[in-house]
Amino acid sequence: MIGNRARAEVYRHLIGKQLTSYVGLHRKPCWLHSALAARWRTGSTPAPVLTATPIRALVDEQISIKAGFLPQHSPVTLCAQMRSEDGDLWEAFGHYYTSADGTVNLARDHSVGGSYLGCEPMGLFWGLQPAPGERDGLRLRMKNVEIPLIVDISLMEGHVSPRERKSTELAVVTTERWFMAPGVQRIDVRQNEVVGTLFLPPGPGRFPALVDLWGMGGGLVEYRSSMIASRGFASFSIAYMEHKDLTVKLNISSADAYMKKAFNILRDHPQVCDDRIGIIGLSYGVYLALRMATLLDLNPSCLVCINGPAGINLEFTQTFHKPKTSESDQRFWTQAEARYLSFTEMSLPTNYSPGTQVKMENLACPLMYILGEDDQNSPSTENSNLIEDLLKKAGKSHLYTCLSYPGAGHLIETPCTPHARMSMWKVKPEKVFALWGGDIAPHAAAQQDSWKKILTFLDKHLRA
Amino acid sequence: MSQAAPPPILSVVPTRALVDEAFKVRVENLPAGAPVTLRCLHQSEDKDFWEAYGHYISDAAGSVSVADDASFGGTYRGIEAMALLWSMRPVPGSRTGLRLRKRDVRSPMLFTISVYDGHVGPDLAGRPPLAQVLVERWYAAPGVRRVDVRERGVRGTLFIPPGPGPFPGVLDMWGGGGGLLEYRSALLASHGYVSLALEYFAAGELASADLEFKYFETAFEVLGQHPSVVPDKVGLLGLSLGGMVALCVAAESSVVKPGCCVCVSGSHFYPRGTALSQISRPTYGNVGKVRVDEDQNLIWRDIGLPVSGDLSQKADVRRINCPLLLVNGQDDQNHPTCEYADDMEAMMSSVGKRHLLSRLDYPQAGHLIEPPYSPHFRATNFMWDGRKAKVTLLWGGQTKAHSDAQEDSWKKILAFLQQHLYSLPCPRARM
Repeated sequence: MIGNRARAEVYRHLIGKQLTSYVGLHRKPCWLHSALAARWRTGSTPAPVLTATPIRALVDEQISIKAGFLPQHSPVTLCAQMRSEDGDLWEAFGHYYTSADGTVNLARDHSVGGSYLGCEPMGLFWGLQPAPGERDGLRLRMKNVEIPLIVDISLMEGHVSPRERKSTELAVVTTERWFMAPGVQRIDVRQNEVVGTLFLPPGPGRFPALVDLWGMGGGLVEYRSSMIASRGFASFSIAYMEHKDLTVKLNISSADAYMKKAFNILRDHPQVCDDRIGIIGLSYGVYLALRMATLLDLNPSCLVCINGPAGINLEFTQTFHKPKTSESDQRFWTQAEARYLSFTEMSLPTNYSPGTQVKMENLACPLMYILGEDDQNSPSTENSNLIEDLLKKAGKSHLYTCLSYPGAGHLIETPCTPHARMSMWKVKPEKVFALWGGDIAPHAAAQQDSWKKILTFLDKHLRA
Repeated sequence: MSQAAPPPILSVVPTRALVDEAFKVRVENLPAGAPVTLRCLHQSEDKDFWEAYGHYISDAAGSVSVADDASFGGTYRGIEAMALLWSMRPVPGSRTGLRLRKRDVRSPMLFTISVYDGHVGPDLAGRPPLAQVLVERWYAAPGVRRVDVRERGVRGTLFIPPGPGPFPGVLDMWGGGGGLLEYRSALLASHGYVSLALEYFAAGELASADLEFKYFETAFEVLGQHPSVVPDKVGLLGLSLGGMVALCVAAESSVVKPGCCVCVSGSHFYPRGTALSQISRPTYGNVGKVRVDEDQNLIWRDIGLPVSGDLSQKADVRRINCPLLLVNGQDDQNHPTCEYADDMEAMMSSVGKRHLLSRLDYPQAGHLIEPPYSPHFRATNFMWDGRKAKVTLLWGGQTKAHSDAQEDSWKKILAFLQQHLYSLPCPRARM
């Protein structure tokens, strides 16, 4: 036994010496990749060190990823892998070269290949995409915001793809991505026929607050609200279509009454400042927000509008409420690319049904419009231009700010939300995909930048 | 209703962190020049409440930044970014002689940080804060695996970092209180070491009085043979009695070859033939050397003095062949650690091994030098089996100096471990 062990030690020692001198000189064939990784696994030196700080972070926080104790000027791959709640595998990777002191630092070094290029400290997160072979048309939407997403960050030897993780992995850290800070309370609201979720920051309050509205995808989307509450605002996500607890079917006028009730539920909450309430809306949620601000005598303190319209085409929106779209309904949907739907035609201002256009001259609070210039779902550029013109005509330009992001698509969400250029819209009667637009890197930049600016805007108008 | 005063904003960044990571506490949106109190409250696993608080004045912009502004009163004064943690003490009316130690490392410690109007004292019952934040602090990073060890008679808990490894190992030993404390090992694993928290006698028990050397050698082997561990990169880390064990094993074992050794508040005082549980304790022969302070806390430091020249009274550190780091508090009232460190230095110098030794001696620090930001314990209860009774031992140290020592020594201990257990052996060219 002792003899065998001594031989093994000598062998390990030799492997270590031999391969160290090869490293960095030329691209190695696959078997040597495994051998080098195996050397660390069975050998007499510890594996290289990989760190990520903070290891448990909110999704809008910067993480510092570093590796050390590597050979100098060597090719390595950093790879992120994550399983969504539905079990789908998402991944991203970057190809790096170690520095002269054998380190990699994502805040300093440049990716020369993979999911992103250049110096991108958070590229492993915003660059996450469904792994090859996963289901079509995936979009990452966190349903349970009280648990984190687990993202494994791996350090691999050589410039490889995530497929080769097992044979080339040198080190791993497990990071947690949180949509909710500790102490934030999540409260189900089913009151007065209103369906929603309220998020309250920790502490006695009172807090400035936000109504949070999403689009015609329906359901109850909580992850932006939970993040807003993690930044100190009470936030109320409201469901207005396709939710099992909704007892009312909403048309334009009944939606007004519904939203008024929802706003007042928030305003009447003992921990909410009743005179510091704003509204944030995405897509159709923008239209609802604009109606609340101009029609319903609610006096919100500010509005954040993301890629949404100031009017609607009634015939077209009606089609969303039907369980099964007929062929005649489908004439409203442009087949932008094969089987990918886009609503850019029907949502144009020229197609607004009469009487639906919001009276922007009644706006009495600041409005920040977040625009994705490559929005393939809705004609957001035309819609935002219309809003700007109407406000100008009413002498209220000072209320309007527009942040216009080239290369960004329709779904401008919280930072590091993986980008979906298209995703599954409906499954019946057949699978249909909605086209959102945008390219990964500029869309990620838009999410990062707009989030910061939204928080500053809310600070200014809800806290000052 | 007219617009009420804007609500103040309290932020702590990050809200989830490892226990040795710093945080930034800020208050904003206050009136200018407003007196406020920042308070940190924690309920321990034993259900005791611990608190710290500082008195601040907001600047012209209505902000307070704990990292930049001075506290004018409370449990700490001056500019102290982390004092809301390290100056914590049991709230008035608590049981006495308490020590704060996390037992379950799979869950975080929760701290409620609040800001109150005015400069207020510890009696805050019923007074609502202006704002509040909840903070999680963890000993273990996600992915760290916890494994119970019951192998070859060795009892302990193993913590393994995530990843394929292999990793250097650390044999982690606590002091004469006994029992099994896992938190430092969990933290070491979060920094990339496979760490074995070793139990070598149960708390307060006179079990296995003649605890054998062999137990530690076996523990070291069990750790070194673990598939995730690099066998010749295993270090020893011990506090107090654990430090003494580390020194003895490093010096006198023919089997154990540590990559390095860290001894915190330990000494090489080891009268041959004495049972481990009797070392540094008052016995019939030396009980007269025990002193008592004004609060009836027992001072044991004189038991080991004067430092004997007789080799049968101490571990022969001249035989140590690995790098050795000694971390001591100059106000240690339990062990005369600095005197012993002087003796160790002399012994090692006499055989030309001074270069292996590094010393960190912290003025006004006490005996219990632990990972950073944990509160300072000047005197706590101790189950001393010799008297079958609870006594209060004086550990020593002044809170601010002791906390600085904890913060500084932990950084240096991690750097020392990394230097000797991680760094590549090939020499680098010096330009």
